[in-house]
Amino acid sequence: MSTAIRNLFPIILLLVVPFVLRAQDLKLPPDIESLSAKAKETVEVNMDGPMLRWASKFLSKEDPEEKEAAKLVENLKAIYVRSYEFADEKAYSAAEVESLRSQFRTPTWSRVVGVRSEHDGENVDVFFRLENEKMAGIVIISAEPRELTFVNIVGPLEIDQLADLGGEFGIPRLKTKPPSSKPLAKADKGDRK
Amino acid sequence: MNPIDQNPNRLENVLKEALRRQDAPENFAADVLARIDQKSTESEPQHSWMSIFSRPALRWAACAAVFICLTLGGIHYRHVQRERAKGEAAKQQLMLALRIAGSKLQLAKERVNDINAARPQSQPESRTPRSRS
Repeated sequence: MSTAIRNLFPIILLLVVPFVLRAQDLKLPPDIESLSAKAKETVEVNMDGPMLRWASKFLSKEDPEEKEAAKLVENLKAIYVRSYEFADEKAYSAAEVESLRSQFRTPTWSRVVGVRSEHDGENVDVFFRLENEKMAGIVIISAEPRELTFVNIVGPLEIDQLADLGGEFGIPRLKTKPPSSKPLAKADKGDRK
Repeated sequence: MNPIDQNPNRLENVLKEALRRQDAPENFAADVLARIDQKSTESEPQHSWMSIFSRPALRWAACAAVFICLTLGGIHYRHVQRERAKGEAAKQQLMLALRIAGSKLQLAKERVNDINAARPQSQPESRTPRSRS
């Protein structure tokens, strides 16, 4: 038995290592690109280290928002964004979103926030990647009835600072509905894998 | 004491002598004209560097140098402009990416806050709502 395991070990290693490495260095899930064909509008941003450095040179030092963005980007290694807006609801299936999420259910990633809203169908998942107990990356998967957004930010960053940017740059902070007696959304937080 | 102070008439005589009308010497006008001519010929070598352009080869070389300088300057300017435009576009992309990431993170944050606020007060604060899925 032990001889059989010893003989199979290199094969198992060969099969497992690429998956682990893939999950660690995953820039974009390969199947996400297929959704762009169905999308009415597509936003694609691919910025690696040198491109980020170069783009941040053009951020104004006078503009407080751009100054904040420059500070945020300073130590980042890459940013990848795919945002698809669809003409119809159910343009993509729940299975497709689940397939995206499943690629981050690895030991290197921790699902920190998962919001499920049955009322308006807004589902958001936030995964953190930690290295030596420090933030090394974040993935956000937001699935709305007519919109699917995937964000992968590689490198250390301040989450609060990034969240603050959502309410700046001319985009108003998202208004939330007043809390009703029956919660419409389900959320899990700190669901570490 | 000054001798002039002793005799005021002497001062008058000295002044009369000094201011006495005198005719111009002969050839005065001719001398003046001759000097003007001499000065104009002396000043000519100051502009002699311009004379190098009297040679056609040098004139064409100068024209070519100016043309090359202007062309290279124009190309460099266009290159800088193009790089700046690319940089601005990259900046816009970066800002867009940050906006999208920030807004989605904000959405998650607000939703979690909503759920926490909607929970009955009787539940302990530290308990986190768990997903049914």
